Amino acid sequence: MVVLATFGLAVGAATAVAAPGQPAAARAPGMASAHGAAHAAASCNPEASSLRPSGPPQVTPGSFMATIRTRGYLIAGVDQSTYNFGFLNPLTEQIQGFDIDMIRAVATAIFGDADPDHLHFKAISDAQRRPDIQNGTVDIVAHTMTILCSRLKYVDFSSVYFVAGQRVLVLKNSSVRNLAGLRGQKVCATAGADSLGPIKAAKAIPVALPEFTDCLVQLQQGDVAAISTDDSILDGLKAQDPWTKLVGPRITNEPYGLAISKQHPDFVRFVNAVLQQLRTDGQWAASYARWIGPPVPKPPQAQYGG
Amino acid sequence: MTTSVGVSPGPRTLAPAVHRTGWRSSLDGATTPARLRLLLAVLVLLSLAWGVLAALTANQHASAAADVVALSEPLSLDAEQIYTSLSDADATAANAFLAGGLEPAAARQRYNADLTEAAIRIEAASALVGSTAARTQLPGHLAAQASATDAAVGDDLAILSGQLPVYTDEVGTARANNRLGYPLGAAYLREASGLLRGTLLPAASDIYTRESGLLTSASGQATGLPLIVVTVVIGLGIGYVLYRSSRWLTRHTHRVVNYGLLVAVLAGLVSLVWLAAAFTIGRADLLHAQQQGSAPVQAYARAEVAALQAHADESLTLIDNKGDDTYQADYLAQKKLLGPGPGTLLAAVQAAGGNGAAADAQAWYTAHAALRQEDDSGQHSIAVQSALNGDAAAKFRQLSADLSDGINAHQAVFAASARSGRDAFTGLAAGMIVAALVMVAGCAWGLSRRLAEYR
Repeated sequence: MVVLATFGLAVGAATAVAAPGQPAAARAPGMASAHGAAHAAASCNPEASSLRPSGPPQVTPGSFMATIRTRGYLIAGVDQSTYNFGFLNPLTEQIQGFDIDMIRAVATAIFGDADPDHLHFKAISDAQRRPDIQNGTVDIVAHTMTILCSRLKYVDFSSVYFVAGQRVLVLKNSSVRNLAGLRGQKVCATAGADSLGPIKAAKAIPVALPEFTDCLVQLQQGDVAAISTDDSILDGLKAQDPWTKLVGPRITNEPYGLAISKQHPDFVRFVNAVLQQLRTDGQWAASYARWIGPPVPKPPQAQYGG
Repeated sequence: MTTSVGVSPGPRTLAPAVHRTGWRSSLDGATTPARLRLLLAVLVLLSLAWGVLAALTANQHASAAADVVALSEPLSLDAEQIYTSLSDADATAANAFLAGGLEPAAARQRYNADLTEAAIRIEAASALVGSTAARTQLPGHLAAQASATDAAVGDDLAILSGQLPVYTDEVGTARANNRLGYPLGAAYLREASGLLRGTLLPAASDIYTRESGLLTSASGQATGLPLIVVTVVIGLGIGYVLYRSSRWLTRHTHRVVNYGLLVAVLAGLVSLVWLAAAFTIGRADLLHAQQQGSAPVQAYARAEVAALQAHADESLTLIDNKGDDTYQADYLAQKKLLGPGPGTLLAAVQAAGGNGAAADAQAWYTAHAALRQEDDSGQHSIAVQSALNGDAAAKFRQLSADLSDGINAHQAVFAASARSGRDAFTGLAAGMIVAALVMVAGCAWGLSRRLAEYR
């Protein structure tokens, strides 16, 4: 349902690639109507689903933030292999990236300092994100996770902190211009990713692997013709292999949010307050410039549903 | 010598007038020289038959024993070495990867040594399989099994020699990307490890299984009882005929000892005892080689491979810590396989006298559990240090060294015992032929002297 609705967005998105970081609804009327259809069907708006913060971030007594502070560290479920969003840098042995910067800001806000001991990372897979939040293994997930109505049934999300869209990565000498040009050819994405829907819809042969770096191995070895997923992830792959290029327009709209348990609405509001600070004090832009590079767009404006 | 003697009038036989039937009744009417000529012919034929039978039996066992030493052992040893070298390369590459761009020199040397060893063994095995001359010596059904094995092993070796460069290429690409700090490096390492485990190791394992089967068949043939029992029984029968013949001669010729027949009986006796003794000694040695040699080697090797795979899993879990636990699940599976405990690989090692390995394994499991605890609680770099040159690394090295030592020690036992088993059959077939010829000569000499008395 959601995949169909987001694919419907592609029609509008094809003509409106400008201003990444802007909510899709603000960009093109065609997309807004497609979005409206999704809203009506699922009776939810992924981009305006979060809880409004009550002022600047504050650790109130008895809150979940106070519990974390007592424990001594925040446990974050993160990605370890998505270059520039969440990856383990072998040179520093540190997990780094844009997602990680968001999490560090949350930890700093809870503890009042940037001591790395206050933040424990747990590297998790795509499939593990939901169960780990639900059973409390991690406090928060920062993992290029798209806010979807289907996911909102099980977890809460922060406000949108990044907007990606599905595009196509091919080798530099490829003549392919978009996903439609890959009809009948092998196109790689991770197993279970919502990127597989548009690949199937384009009548390409989907190849599902555990990680996107696995897809890049297959692309380099000539076993697949292209990789198609969020451009944020594709940019990271392109950074690891300069002999690749991104082609075609954004065909989906992927608003990223930090996932938090439905048990802790106070923490959701707290995280949204932190994100709001990042948007306004220039930290968001600095992180964007460091990990994704110029030109730096305006941060996605927070919309709240409650 | 018999043809020169015609039917000469001699004294009538003194045979008792008992009613006889068949050929014996027709003998009753014959003259003594005729009977002597017939007896001579029968004894010569029996001696020759014994010579052929004993020599064939000796040859059968000797060549099977030689086969145990000369053919099956090197190839199954090659296969075992290919398997362990590749497993070690997998574990070493993964472990070294954890160190990032500054790969420890020792790890790099070990990885290179593993690959060199594997390449040399693949070449050696290919040469062995290619040498049809060596394998056509195999007797009977073993030859058929050997040729079927050769075909399959040839395919396996083609896979190994074809895919090994692909594997090393992927590990090289993994390293290059890792040096740049790219997560792509881990993906290439995973791809390489998958190729090694999914394609290379099964091919090496197939060679090992087939060659072990051939070794078991050859050993079974060398130590098998039916042929030797039949031969010994027939030998005893022929000895009895010789004995009865000399008794008959004594009664009919009134001479106490016929030295010719005595020589024949003694030669037969010596050949029989030699055959039985050689077989008994050779069999004992070959069984010892199997029970104290190849069987423990197999037990140790299987344990070592499981341990190496689990070690690679430990590193890969740290490298590729996606939390989906594929490698950690495999670690647990290998650990379960390894034991110790009833029916596990380490239980077989313990049965072969390797008690240290079980304790080593437990120590490593404990270190591994501590490592996982650290990694799961966000202390990734502490866990990496443990796997790279800390507690887990030291404990695994100890286990690996114990298992390698066990393999080497039992391999030496196997080689020595199998060789001594083969040597027990040395000269046996020739000896049987010589003994049979002495028997023929003895019979001919002994009986022709009696026949001469009737001229």
